[in-house]
Amino acid sequence: MILTAIILTGIGSYIMRAFFIFALARYQFPPIMLQALEYVAPTVMAALVVSLLTTPNGELVAGLPEIAGLVGTAIVAKVSGNHILALIAGMATFWLIGWML
Amino acid sequence: MSTERFSTVISGVLGALPLFIPAIPFAFVFGVVVANAGIPKWLGWSSSPIIFGGAIQVTLFTLIAEGASIAAAVSAALVVGARHMLYSITLAPQFQNQPTWFKWVGPYVLIDQVFVLSQLNPIKEPDTFRHYFLAAGFTFWSLWMLFTAIGVLLGPAIPASWGVEFAAPVLFVSLMMAASNRPDKVGAALLAMIITYLLAELPNRAGLLVAVVISVFIMLLMTRRGQR
Repeated sequence: MILTAIILTGIGSYIMRAFFIFALARYQFPPIMLQALEYVAPTVMAALVVSLLTTPNGELVAGLPEIAGLVGTAIVAKVSGNHILALIAGMATFWLIGWML
Repeated sequence: MSTERFSTVISGVLGALPLFIPAIPFAFVFGVVVANAGIPKWLGWSSSPIIFGGAIQVTLFTLIAEGASIAAAVSAALVVGARHMLYSITLAPQFQNQPTWFKWVGPYVLIDQVFVLSQLNPIKEPDTFRHYFLAAGFTFWSLWMLFTAIGVLLGPAIPASWGVEFAAPVLFVSLMMAASNRPDKVGAALLAMIITYLLAELPNRAGLLVAVVISVFIMLLMTRRGQR
């Protein structure tokens, strides 16, 4: 039963990833569509961040350490353009402020 | 292998490695979820090659542990993974000039980080794009197979009090900043954050997909209006 669930989920998630690559294989994308696609990466990342910081009941679970950590990450990411530095800065800020409080 | 192809593969591997770091604590979370669901370790791990999507795998086993029906658990897991359809649409133009085998294999490794990597340095040349995409994708794939195996075997190896799971939102903020390289993209990201928060109560994180669609639509309306 569990293996059935895993296989069904596997097939479903593969179809979601493959479907439009095949369905739109010959589609001529108009400029407005290409512009819309440019917004997908920043908006999905933004939505994932908020999604990870909210409970299923819609409550925000970010305190001062989380907010400070994410602001630190954003600044270092913008200035350095380096994900490892941004990760170190974000986690260090989060741990430091969490430890001080 | 030509040196050009070799250097593309290396840059794909090196692009993927730092983005995998936050997935390591997540692999241990996955191990705990499998243990809580009371299913054999090998069966839990088999979802890594069969599904290959961390959040989808965790959702599936969390719901099975809670006693949900198979149909309910599978559909909830697929709703969590629904954003991959947007990746499929977004990458469709770049897949148009690709060989058929790659159209079949590429989607299998199309996860959040691989998608963002492919968007951060858009590669026009089809062969280079394919080599980069596969190198990054299968770097993630190999590491995820390895670390979910370790996670399933060790279980709660990292104390929850350390808060290492916070590495996930940190990574996505870093990727969001890299992807927002124009003022209108920054605006789109801010809109998506606000709308996701407002829709956070929708079941199975469905708000995420809805928020992305609405914010993209609003940005199109605003920028078109601005051009007139």
